[in-house]
Amino acid sequence: MRRFLSARMAAWVRRRQGPDSLPVVLERRRLYILPTRAGLAFAALWLFMLLAALNYGNSLALLLTFLLAGFALVTMHACHRNLLGVQLSGLAAPAVFAGTTGALHVTLENPDATDHPGLEAALDAEAPASGEAGAHGRLRLELPLPATRRGVARIGRLRLATAHPFGLFRAWTWVHLPVEMLVYPRPLGSLPAPTANGQKPGASAGGTVGLDEWQGLRPFREGDSPRQVDWKAYAREAPLLVKEYSPAGSDLCLFDFSRLAVPDLEARLSQLARWVVDAEAHGDRYALALPGLTLAPDRGPAHRHRCLAALAVFDAPRS
Amino acid sequence: MHREAERASPAAVSWVCAAFAGGVLLHVERAPAWVSAAALILIAWRLLAARGGVALPGGWLRAILALVAMAAVYARFRTLNGLSAGTALLMLMGALKLLETRTRRDQLVVLGASLFLLLAACLDRQSLPRAPLYVLEVWLCCAALAVAATPGFRAREAVRLAGRTLLLAAPLALLMFVFFPRVAGSFWAVPRTEEAVTGLSDTMSPGSISHLITSYDIAFRVRFIGPAPPYPQRYWRGPVLHDFDGRTWRSAPQLYRRRAPLEGQGPLYRYRVDLEPTQQHWWLALDTPLASPDPKVTLTYDFQLVSATVVSQPTSFEAESRHPTLQLTPLPAGDRRRDTYLPRGQNPRTAQLARELRRRAPSDAALVQAALDVLRTGGFTYSLDPEPLAADQIDDFLFNTKSGFCEHYASAFVALLRAAGVPAHVVTGYLGGELNPIGGYYEVRQSDAHSWAEVWLDGQGWTRIDPTGVVEPERLSRGLLDLIPGAASAQERFLRASPWLVRLLQRWDAANAWWNERVVKFDYTTQLDVLERLGIRSPDEREVGWAFALALLGWLAVIAWHMGRGQRRAPRDALARAYLRLCRKLAGSGRPRAAHEGPLDYAAALAVRDPALAARAHELLSRYAQLRFGPPLPATRARDIEEFRRAVARLR
Repeated sequence: MRRFLSARMAAWVRRRQGPDSLPVVLERRRLYILPTRAGLAFAALWLFMLLAALNYGNSLALLLTFLLAGFALVTMHACHRNLLGVQLSGLAAPAVFAGTTGALHVTLENPDATDHPGLEAALDAEAPASGEAGAHGRLRLELPLPATRRGVARIGRLRLATAHPFGLFRAWTWVHLPVEMLVYPRPLGSLPAPTANGQKPGASAGGTVGLDEWQGLRPFREGDSPRQVDWKAYAREAPLLVKEYSPAGSDLCLFDFSRLAVPDLEARLSQLARWVVDAEAHGDRYALALPGLTLAPDRGPAHRHRCLAALAVFDAPRS
Repeated sequence: MHREAERASPAAVSWVCAAFAGGVLLHVERAPAWVSAAALILIAWRLLAARGGVALPGGWLRAILALVAMAAVYARFRTLNGLSAGTALLMLMGALKLLETRTRRDQLVVLGASLFLLLAACLDRQSLPRAPLYVLEVWLCCAALAVAATPGFRAREAVRLAGRTLLLAAPLALLMFVFFPRVAGSFWAVPRTEEAVTGLSDTMSPGSISHLITSYDIAFRVRFIGPAPPYPQRYWRGPVLHDFDGRTWRSAPQLYRRRAPLEGQGPLYRYRVDLEPTQQHWWLALDTPLASPDPKVTLTYDFQLVSATVVSQPTSFEAESRHPTLQLTPLPAGDRRRDTYLPRGQNPRTAQLARELRRRAPSDAALVQAALDVLRTGGFTYSLDPEPLAADQIDDFLFNTKSGFCEHYASAFVALLRAAGVPAHVVTGYLGGELNPIGGYYEVRQSDAHSWAEVWLDGQGWTRIDPTGVVEPERLSRGLLDLIPGAASAQERFLRASPWLVRLLQRWDAANAWWNERVVKFDYTTQLDVLERLGIRSPDEREVGWAFALALLGWLAVIAWHMGRGQRRAPRDALARAYLRLCRKLAGSGRPRAAHEGPLDYAAALAVRDPALAARAHELLSRYAQLRFGPPLPATRARDIEEFRRAVARLR
């Protein structure tokens, strides 16, 4: 029943507000406000206090009760005011690998000369992240977004809320923005990567990376090969670092979907993703060939993203 | 809802502790000392635990402590109900709950308990000097609520926010106070408070009044309608004491006896008395009240005003009095017996003196004069600190110590007359009262407490005789503290030394009187009075409703204006303003931007529709998109926005 009601409510709100576009200014007509549980408890307490004060015919107790009533009403206004005028200026979910947890980056701007503490952002039925947007300031929140399977993860609706001040009321709004998170295939598989002419690429992707010219260390990034991690440094309680080698002497690789002898589609894509990640980390130039799509040999973050994105959406079920 | 959000923030713990400690401190004088001490120790324990100093008790220990607390409260009060017992229980239970505050919900429960303690304090005492304490406590509770509600909220901000919110709420509180309908009677029985208050009682023994007069507290205030009687005529009649056991005078008002008709002779005085709470049944009126001022108050056969309920709240009434009075009906035999009774075998010398006076005096009136002459010429002195009296008190006083206070004189005088067979009794009350020129009323203080005698004279009835006036005539025209400076405490002497301070005290008392009149005693009648003054002459519900609704709207408007202030003052985002202006200008082409379109979507849509405009529009729109969504360029951003603004201004 409750789920049905909230679904109907969501549909109604969606119809009422229409689609949004950035920046979303939280204006009056899209803010909703209701008492929280604490607010309801306060109301019950207040009612009892009123009865006691009336019963005793005690003026000071009545004054106290009325003061608390005014307090609650002012609180309601202040809560509404705390969300009013805030702007949602950025909403993005960077691409991640399947099996990890991505993040929805929410950027809220406060154009007012007053602070807006206790702003919350949440996805449906998830725990909210909260923080304060100072005067003329901006607040960045990150909502965890689990990426279970490759493809495009669509974000339903975002709930921006606040119970500040005093937590007796919660004002909220729903934002409907077509934000999608690209989920790359999980880089898996241990087949050796082929070079452009179909041969094995020698030592470069195979593991004897020591032959390359040592360049330095950089922080671990999602998708890095565990072989490149500086485990010795990690054992000395340093952060997870990755050894980098200069691209000098690197090879040209061609990762061809059709030549891969793995029956399962997901495993095949995972293997390709593994190769792309390794090749990029190693500084190789690589090309990707998928049925109906070929990406010319190149290297660099943009190329890596293009390749992995192509793998992510290849024949993918929308989710 | 969400576990994460519900976990208590550690900063809030000390605030909740402070709010609850404030609630406990409001009751510290009235509650049993061990209750306050236990509650404060538990609070300190919680605070220490929050700093990591000590461990919090486990669930078993808490349960045992709760049971012990309940049993102790029950043992002390014989009930868990009622204001005193309930408050004590709430203090202990709230403090125990404080020990297990882990989540925000627990903290809110403790804050609720703090508000209840505040409510109980309001129900207990409503005097003006306590009001600021209550305001501080409600402020503290609200600030603690703010800290508990928003994790990471700064304490100083919370205090300021709570203060501002309460200030904004105050007008509504006043409005509701004036307009909210008052109910007559109670929903459930109001339990009586058993706390003792300084004031007259229904017994008098040596020392009871001299104990009273060291208190400078106000007993009641009187406003005369018309002329006021001179000081020596301002006898305020309280308990009338008939029964004497050789040491103590007692009274047991006989409520249902018929009053003999009384004829007032002196000038008629009309006045209004504002009684302070006494927890006693007597209403004090000018000697001698002619009629009962209130249906629940009985004017007894010996002219005491006895109320059916104790005076537990400030109470006002209007009455009329005259003095002297004339009673032509004979004294009933029972009354004569009662008012000539003395315990047998005591005070033989007094009995002998009485026989001697009786022999010489031709009439009862002459006998009274002779008895007064004994006091006048016998070398008696007026003292607040007399020697203690031996077993035969009257004998010891009349023939030995010869030094005493009004109660000694009244007691000895009545005993002497009774020994001579003249009906007499002791009346306790107050004498005098000081005019407060600021408030235009008379302040009667506990230090004005007095006792005198009433003697039955045939053909005249009960006649007031004040034996103290014979010994110390000054007492009849001046307050006791003027008379015997030593009677006052050092602090009061200091306060009364400077006329400036006296005026300040009078001002303070006038403020107290106003508070009692306008706030504490605000009831249905006062409500009508205030509404009438606001121009609502015939307070039918609709008119009052409209007035309240209007006032409420006014308040809401003020709140809305206040809330909107921060927003209007804020400088608008120049970039957004320029963008909106650009969109307005481009809308002139006949294709306004749809709400869901971003700048680049809009540029694309324009390109289809109006290629001529599109080139310039695309340039500006993409520049906006770059500025708004592009990588941050802190160095040139402000200049770029300004250029963009100019470009938009130049368009067309």
